[in-house]
Amino acid sequence: MKESLMDILCCPLDKQDLELEVVRRDDDEILDGRLVCTECGEEYPIEEGIPNLLPPDMREETPA
Amino acid sequence: MSDGEGATARSADEQRRIVRERYAAIATESSDGCCDGGADGADDADQCCSSSVDEQSREMGYDDADVDAVADGANLGLGCGNPTAIAALEPGQTVLDLGSGAGFDCFLAANAVGPTGHVVGVDMTPEMVEKARENARRNDTDAVEFRLGEIEHLPVADGTVDVVISNCVVNLSPDKQQVFAEAFRALKPGGRVAISDVVQTAPSPEDVTENPAALAACVSGAATFADLEAMLDRAGFEAVSIEPKDESASFIREWDDERDLSEYLVSSVVEARKPR
Repeated sequence: MKESLMDILCCPLDKQDLELEVVRRDDDEILDGRLVCTECGEEYPIEEGIPNLLPPDMREETPA
Repeated sequence: MSDGEGATARSADEQRRIVRERYAAIATESSDGCCDGGADGADDADQCCSSSVDEQSREMGYDDADVDAVADGANLGLGCGNPTAIAALEPGQTVLDLGSGAGFDCFLAANAVGPTGHVVGVDMTPEMVEKARENARRNDTDAVEFRLGEIEHLPVADGTVDVVISNCVVNLSPDKQQVFAEAFRALKPGGRVAISDVVQTAPSPEDVTENPAALAACVSGAATFADLEAMLDRAGFEAVSIEPKDESASFIREWDDERDLSEYLVSSVVEARKPR
């Protein structure tokens, strides 16, 4: 995920801004980390460069 | 919201699960060559052989330059039109693709909006998003981003998108009104939707509506023209236009071995604008 796209990202539940926490990145993009909603506190994982912004009830049934 | 949501009592969760499972299977199959027959029937296998996909794509409205512009693997032949052709994209625009699959339309859109534009693909199937990301590497493009998300709960901020595209996906949603409401929210004032999707022209037989495979294959979930128009209207859109493409019968007929689905479905171009 590229940091420049943070501008148009939001929490899928309440549409509030997300805060980025980077765990691993390369020159171009964030590979692992988290997006945390500044309003409701819900955490959305970034794994292998893919932000998982599915609502929590759908994320749980997502295979790893 | 009950408009056009099908005659069965299938729950929204169940509907999402059915759709996800089918597309996860397609994403996995097509990554290792599927011409030898798919796990769930020969008709899927037909759909993802590269040569037949290219041919079908021409029938759907892509020209040779479109097909050649994107590296193999992104076009799974699962659409029913060419939304990037109807979208009239311009350099610098931000485009959102609902149900981006392996990414074919996103890569075409990225070529149109250029390096100053952005294309965001949202899909709820992890296997598809992974595949799209691999394809992004092969297509050497920086303008496209894929994320896991649900089109009824878009992770896209208000008023940030110029054009929403989608190809044969909205019919799969158990809550189409919510999809249009979310698209409206994400669009800038004056922004547009340019969607290719199947529309129901006659009620499909009961054995079709009850068959989960028919839902996932874009058959039984389609709304009628009147329902679609009412939903877009209610979401706040103006200049709503839903144009059936009669020539789509030629490929819709191929979607099922046993019956002619073009008796119930027509691929259509759905366009609408968010007021300024």
